[in-house]
Amino acid sequence: MTAAELPEAAAHDDALDEAKFVGRTSDAGVSAGGASEGGLPPAAFVAALAGFDRMTVRRLHSLLAIGDPRLAFALAAGRERPVGPLASMLARDVGLAARWREQSRVRSPVRCWQQCLDAGVDVIVADDPRFPPQLLNDPAPPAALFVRGDPGVLDARRVGIVGTRNATQRGLETAARFGHELAQQGVVVVSGLARGIDGAAHRGALAADAAPVAAVVGNGPDVPYPREHAALWHEVACRGVLLSEWPPGTPPARFRFPMRNRILAALCEVLVVVESRDKGGGLITAREALDRNVQVMAVPGSLQTLAASGTNRLLRDGAAPATDTDEILAALGLDGRRAGRARFDPRPLPRGRDALIIDRCAARARSIDEIVNDFGLSLADGAMTLARLEQQGWLRETGGWFETVGHWDDLA
Amino acid sequence: MFASISSAVLFGAEGNRVTVEVHVGKGLPAFHLVGLPDESIRESRDRVRAAVSTSDFEWPDTKITVNLAPSPHRKTGSGLDLAIAVGVLVAAGDLPTNSVAGLGFIGEVGLDGSVRAVPGVAPMVGALGDADVVVPVDNAREARVAASGRVRLVSTLRELASVLLGDSPWPEFALGEPDDPPALIADLADVRGQPLARHAVEIAAAGGHHTLFVGPPGSGKTMLAARLPGLLPDLDRAGALESTMVHSAAGELLPPGGLVTRPPFRAPHHTSSMVALVGGGSHSLRPGEISLAHRGVLFLDEIGEFAPAVLDGLRQPLEEGVIRVARANSHAVLPADFMLAAAMNPCPCGGGPPGECRCDGAALRRYARRLSGPLLDRFDLRVPVHRPAVDDLVSGEPGEPTVAVAERVRAARALALDRQGVLNARLVPRALDELAPLDSAASAELRRRIELDQLSGRGYHRVRRVARTIADLADAGRSTISADDVALALQMRKTFTRRARSSHVA
Repeated sequence: MTAAELPEAAAHDDALDEAKFVGRTSDAGVSAGGASEGGLPPAAFVAALAGFDRMTVRRLHSLLAIGDPRLAFALAAGRERPVGPLASMLARDVGLAARWREQSRVRSPVRCWQQCLDAGVDVIVADDPRFPPQLLNDPAPPAALFVRGDPGVLDARRVGIVGTRNATQRGLETAARFGHELAQQGVVVVSGLARGIDGAAHRGALAADAAPVAAVVGNGPDVPYPREHAALWHEVACRGVLLSEWPPGTPPARFRFPMRNRILAALCEVLVVVESRDKGGGLITAREALDRNVQVMAVPGSLQTLAASGTNRLLRDGAAPATDTDEILAALGLDGRRAGRARFDPRPLPRGRDALIIDRCAARARSIDEIVNDFGLSLADGAMTLARLEQQGWLRETGGWFETVGHWDDLA
Repeated sequence: MFASISSAVLFGAEGNRVTVEVHVGKGLPAFHLVGLPDESIRESRDRVRAAVSTSDFEWPDTKITVNLAPSPHRKTGSGLDLAIAVGVLVAAGDLPTNSVAGLGFIGEVGLDGSVRAVPGVAPMVGALGDADVVVPVDNAREARVAASGRVRLVSTLRELASVLLGDSPWPEFALGEPDDPPALIADLADVRGQPLARHAVEIAAAGGHHTLFVGPPGSGKTMLAARLPGLLPDLDRAGALESTMVHSAAGELLPPGGLVTRPPFRAPHHTSSMVALVGGGSHSLRPGEISLAHRGVLFLDEIGEFAPAVLDGLRQPLEEGVIRVARANSHAVLPADFMLAAAMNPCPCGGGPPGECRCDGAALRRYARRLSGPLLDRFDLRVPVHRPAVDDLVSGEPGEPTVAVAERVRAARALALDRQGVLNARLVPRALDELAPLDSAASAELRRRIELDQLSGRGYHRVRRVARTIADLADAGRSTISADDVALALQMRKTFTRRARSSHVA
């Protein structure tokens, strides 16, 4: 697909509607390669191919290397006789040709293109000028990208913020604060829209309302996952860009998330891991980033917090500590430009024992048992004090554990 | 030619009086048993015939008809053996008719003429009213607990026959003195640290509140629950009798004295079936675990692992204090007034402080669904239990012993019973305003929680009941509920689903 074909793709909308109409009344669309496919843009064939069963990034690359997605689809569907490397690719894997013939009927370009149009998804392949240049020289580039929003936002300065889904309150707040303060400096926050750290970083960045954001997701760009992030997905697509390697309708699957991480890592200039376990996805992203010479920073965490074990190891292995937004900006070469006003903290200042309790719950989550033991309180006094601090917004309780809340809580 | 003998059969946890009528008349030799006997009674024909022969009596070679009156009810169990055997001997003229007047007979006979113990003697003896009862020697203690007439003990049919013939007096058996009740094994002193959980156990015992312990494996949930019955006072006479009846009916081992005086503690495994838990099964409708826990504690460890239908079966008895087990042609009402204690993990991986859980969202949602909302709502106390601190575990002082805590529990229970006649857990919402008035700070705190949607209407009442108990334990003279009490009650009523963050963008 070339740039000149782009307006044409839009113009084909009418033609497609017409084709569908014809198909429905005369059954002409059912026959393979029927008239209905004639008017489709090449992107429709890419969308159909990318969702084939047993399609891999490498296979898609080989198919799209032909230069004409229409022909590539015909070859994969078995309508044209493959030659050269494609022929050996199809022959090497038993049953692949048959499987793809079947898939070409299930994933008809007409239907797949309609899905793209319905979801407002653009298809971008490597020779498209909108294709992110950071991915062009990537060791494992995606063959095609499915995009909601404006991929042009990736031309700005970009910082990735990633981390665990099971984060602590402090982790969530740190992610939200970094997201917010980076966005205030015009930096595009790149993340994965997952539960926990990812979502908090995006919420923080969007709340600043100062810079667009970018997200790389591991399933179809029209399939919000986790579901409670549906509104956030929409917001990201409207106020930035949402990228996926997978066509619309692709359900979430475990194996796709690590693959997503390589694209996320490639799109960052600096990657900040806020909280990650010893074997977390955050560490996979960090490794992918190191492979691509992207600087990795990590937020130091308590040694007693399991959720920080991975980030602490990154620090030991030489990652730069990220304790403040200024440090991240310095890594981007933007130091000293920070001029945003600090957020106003409306909470009453804690005094005496209250301050000590807040301090203690800041190091790690504490139970009421620990608080009454450490401060020699009666249970009733302890319950009263904790309830008051919770009401004032200094503490938050989850399953009997109390954590100190910063004033970024509303964004985390 | 004819004999009428009093006996009884078991139905649920109650005895039903049965009159065994025996007719020995002319006709071809036969032995008919009528009056809706079930299979276990039908088999008694063979036992009785052998027992009579081996006890040196001639089996009458004529037509024998045995009728179990009243005939419409189905009867079950081997306890009628002795009555049938005696009836045959009387009807055949081997024993004088007047010798059995005013006596009831319960017991199973062996082929050698020995008389064996049967389950459920206590309720059966109770059903016989003022009659003197003849029971197997092994059932002596429970029979004495329930009998209002004299209890006669026999070990063989031969022995019984010689008494009825007037050849010898009723045999005496040395039963030995009942041993002292075993020392309380589960002492609260074993629980170190964990002040919140310890206090929750005390509150639960004092107010009769249903309690759910939520904590990671190894945090001591089971240990805490096992210490609950030790805090409860001894059963009163009526309660002890009810409990003894149920235990006897289920064939459970009774304490040496025969009377169940301590609140029972039942901990059925999570694979237990519905029938095992609520009762039912054979024609006798055997009491289930919830009836055995009557006036005591029913502890469901890993409550999330129980079948949902089984758990929902608990809702009606929790509400009414009895369980109605109905079958096509019979239904029994069994006592089931128990305190429910349960334990579960906060999530499939066991959980821990925030950031340690390794479960994904779908697994958490599945786990949360295991306990239905209505059942979860029945728990006044939902207590987070955390692993005790290492210092407490290794070198800490032993906690306050059960004896000391039980004294406070006793005082608080007496206070509640004096004030309102029921335990605090049974206070109806209407009575709460009068008996558990809130001071202004407490009222404001509860109001705030409701406005924040952290407390439902029903939860509001539950918290007030628990707060009433907390106040009773803390300071016996205080009539109003303070903010302290409410704050503590709220600490013990947690929800354990991980908070769902809205994806709403600010």
